[in-house]
Amino acid sequence: MALYPGCLILQRMPKYEQAARAVLGELGIAPQIVQEAACCGAPVVESFTADWVHLSIYNLALVERMGCDTVVTLCGSCTNALIRASHALQDADLRTEANRRLQRVSPDLMATDTVTVKHLVRLLAEREGELRARMVRQLPLRVALTNPCQVFRPGDVVGIEGEDPMHPQAMRRLVELTGAQAVEYGESGDAENECCGATLYLAAPKLSLAAGRRKLEATHRCSADLLLQGCGNSQLLLRNFQSAFLRDAPDLHQPALFLPQLLGLAMGLPKEALGLRENLL
Amino acid sequence: MKHPAACIQCGDCVEVCPVEKVGGHAIVTFLADPDAADYSVWLCTICWRCHQVCPTGVDIYGLMMERRRHEAAPGGYQTAFERVLRSGLALPISQEELDQVRAAWGLEPVELPPADLVHILLHKSPSE
Repeated sequence: MALYPGCLILQRMPKYEQAARAVLGELGIAPQIVQEAACCGAPVVESFTADWVHLSIYNLALVERMGCDTVVTLCGSCTNALIRASHALQDADLRTEANRRLQRVSPDLMATDTVTVKHLVRLLAEREGELRARMVRQLPLRVALTNPCQVFRPGDVVGIEGEDPMHPQAMRRLVELTGAQAVEYGESGDAENECCGATLYLAAPKLSLAAGRRKLEATHRCSADLLLQGCGNSQLLLRNFQSAFLRDAPDLHQPALFLPQLLGLAMGLPKEALGLRENLL
Repeated sequence: MKHPAACIQCGDCVEVCPVEKVGGHAIVTFLADPDAADYSVWLCTICWRCHQVCPTGVDIYGLMMERRRHEAAPGGYQTAFERVLRSGLALPISQEELDQVRAAWGLEPVELPPADLVHILLHKSPSE
């Protein structure tokens, strides 16, 4: 199995990769990182050129060259882009053009639509039984999770079998394995499915921060102990940018973890192996 | 922008849009009201909720991306795009810095993509 962390996690959030590896290691999975990987292309490059797809096709070709049939992803955006690119290769003309470009990069790269792209949430959800058996303690925490939007939608292309694209349950089930309660929050009680707003930051920072603030106000009202993300962009906004949108409301600050950090804690893994500095328990 | 023929202006997309919830107006504003002027195709969190709920299957995401390619981009997008053109990555980092990050976290070393990769894949050079 290969691992494609994506730009953000590779460069700024190594703790997410570290925690994911620690939890996967307990399941006997030791993914190899994709060397020389490029940006997935979406949504930035896609906003400028339809050629964005060649970036994701290149990344999938690297996975195939490694001899891997599956690549695990950590970020929603990358997951979505890689799967859409793989689907796009059903177009014979695109495949021909992709191979022409890949040949110029390296003769041993081939456009492929046979690599399975699995976000960490999906990979772990498929191993729910094994994970349950690995839990050594129950965490008395109230968790406000945010589903990684792009992992589940559009349902007909990137969706996960058995999951409602608008109300996926996989991450919620994983949280509950730890004994923590996945709280319902927001006016609708469905804010775990409301987008964090991170990607909006590129176009409209103020609106993006307002979306983050909206989330934090909702999680505060439901007395959550922590926020939980399964996507780098989501944590970038909801954790790293908290000081920007809570300047006048310091009491709304909340710790935020990545899904494998929470799972790892309940599995009894040491904090250092999970990239954890927060004291939560 | 041409209003998509399949759109019945039901407004379901507006209901689920996180941008609309914080007072912004995204492409869904235009879909619900073709005469609307105060919206931007750049205001989007890429959550795909509108695309998912559309009862007539309008390719809202595709429509938005196509439109973006004909409009001036906000600074954040432009900067990120230029970074990818220069380095193949959306965030800047040198091999030396990356080696340090990986070592500090006990993670295996990672090679950055080849310098000419994006030029080959996108047929663009950093100055374009």
